[in-house]
Amino acid sequence: MALAEDTSNPVLECRSVERRFGGIVALNGIDMEIRRGEIFGLVGPNGCGKTTLTNAITGFYPPQRGNILFNGNDITGIAPHKVATLGIARTFQNLALFNGMSVLDNILLGRHTHMKPGVARTALYWWLARSDETANRAVVEDVIDFLQLESVRDELVDGIPIGLKKRVELARALAAEPNFLILDEPMAGMNQEEKEYMARFILDARDERNVTVLLIEHHMDVITGICDRMLALNYGAMIGSGKPADVVADPRVVEAYIGGAHVSR
Amino acid sequence: MLYRKAGIFHTDYAADRALFPIPADRWTIGLLLLIAATAPLYMNSLYLSSYLLPWLVWTAATLGLNLILGWAGQFHLGYAAVMGIGAYAAVHAVRTGIPWEIAIVLAGFTAAVIGIGFAFAALRVKGLYLALSTLALQFVMDWTISHVQAISGGTQATLQAPDIRLLGIPITSDAGLYYIALVWCLLVTSFMLNLKRTALGRALVAVREKDYAAAVIGVNSFYFKMVAFATSSFIGGVTGAILIGTFYHAVTPEQFSVDVSIQALAMVIVGGLGSIIGSYFGAAFILLMPGVMNSFISWLANLLGLSLSLETLAHLPQALYGALIIVFLLVEPLGLGKIYNNIRDYLLVWPFGYVKK
Repeated sequence: MALAEDTSNPVLECRSVERRFGGIVALNGIDMEIRRGEIFGLVGPNGCGKTTLTNAITGFYPPQRGNILFNGNDITGIAPHKVATLGIARTFQNLALFNGMSVLDNILLGRHTHMKPGVARTALYWWLARSDETANRAVVEDVIDFLQLESVRDELVDGIPIGLKKRVELARALAAEPNFLILDEPMAGMNQEEKEYMARFILDARDERNVTVLLIEHHMDVITGICDRMLALNYGAMIGSGKPADVVADPRVVEAYIGGAHVSR
Repeated sequence: MLYRKAGIFHTDYAADRALFPIPADRWTIGLLLLIAATAPLYMNSLYLSSYLLPWLVWTAATLGLNLILGWAGQFHLGYAAVMGIGAYAAVHAVRTGIPWEIAIVLAGFTAAVIGIGFAFAALRVKGLYLALSTLALQFVMDWTISHVQAISGGTQATLQAPDIRLLGIPITSDAGLYYIALVWCLLVTSFMLNLKRTALGRALVAVREKDYAAAVIGVNSFYFKMVAFATSSFIGGVTGAILIGTFYHAVTPEQFSVDVSIQALAMVIVGGLGSIIGSYFGAAFILLMPGVMNSFISWLANLLGLSLSLETLAHLPQALYGALIIVFLLVEPLGLGKIYNNIRDYLLVWPFGYVKK
């Protein structure tokens, strides 16, 4: 553990969060506490509410009941673009890069909340925007360096391979200098080597950039390998939480994930 | 071969983000500016005032519409109405004694304010529904302008535009009017070029591509759509005022009717969404091609000894011109600007085509 675990002051706290879509209960009373400097795993079978929970945190689907606290402040129901300004960044399960722009411009967009976009600044770029653009470019180059994206910096983002796209999306999230990062299946569709790279980047991001991470993943080896604590969901309800080794061994989690027949063995 | 990137190294971020990082481009632009600036010296004043000038003004309009359509990705089928608002505002302002240079800024702001007010309602819907509600702006403005006596002076009326006076000096020569159009077109172009490298431009593209991903990095989609509408309306308003001041010299509602909106839309799409050089090509194509086609058909008919009826002579060029637009868009859906870029990319590494650019 790189940072001293601080249990008194959690980064993110969900208090009996509930979200329904019509008659479907997507999240049913979720309690979750993520401590500073931790990599927190979130697992569960498809459709169990993992992404809904991140959407509740980032403001896309505000919970109908319960509270979400970020650094002790209630952020329940705040609009997504305002959540970003608080220091929460996320990546998407299905890539959400901006086509038609270079890798560099995509990562520069991560600096949006640190910049002041405006019409006058654009018209009078040489006097009003150049220094700001240059300063933020320096930060972005730091992230590019960190994630080893130098070789594709000027490529259009539409044309690069998926493994790199995932990395660009992580770079865009990190460029915002968040203190809380939500990664929604960052390793989906990757081979073993790419997975190991990504796991290393996540650990480094936590250690060097002081980011607390909420990691959604289906690869159990990654969860047990790099997560400090975890939470397992099934049908919108919590079925296990704690140290990965314990949760993964929990019969209820095994049943939900692999099926009942394996529990007895 | 013709362009070269090899051996060009930028040692700071500002130089890397220069408008034209390649020296060959800087020379080309310098040369083009020189040609444009000296045009009145060697160009017949008929060509200057009836081809070059409207082309520059319409390019500015195309760029303004491209801002909302190509950058922010929002449909706008009422751009002529926005230009009309600017045109009438400027004419009335000058008639009450306000200096022309202030009047065109007022025209821009009037268009921007009405544009924002309208966008505030229209932007609650997306895609085709937005397209239809912008069409409503066109019809509402058409009706308002022609039916409110105080604006148009009556249903069939034509309002004479007072002569342009810059800092008190009357500008009536063809060259003077041409320079006004040139300066405005260059101002809009430089704004659009800067948009490609500032936070505002990136935010607009983010809104266009994926609004949920934009929100997650802190971009307020609605706000930036409004900014795009306001800025584009401002450009449209000023352009409308300049079109009247330098080209038409009088203003009637028909100059800004719905077919003019469609024409502006065609300029953007034929030129290429989000392409600056494409806006120049698109405006030139839509403005000049009908005339060129006309002379081409008559020339061809003469050559082959065919005697075409007047009816055919009137409609054939239109049909061919339409067919040409379709052919261009089939060849390259991103328009003339993209075709230009493809050629440029090819020349960048010619004759070593296997080299990555």
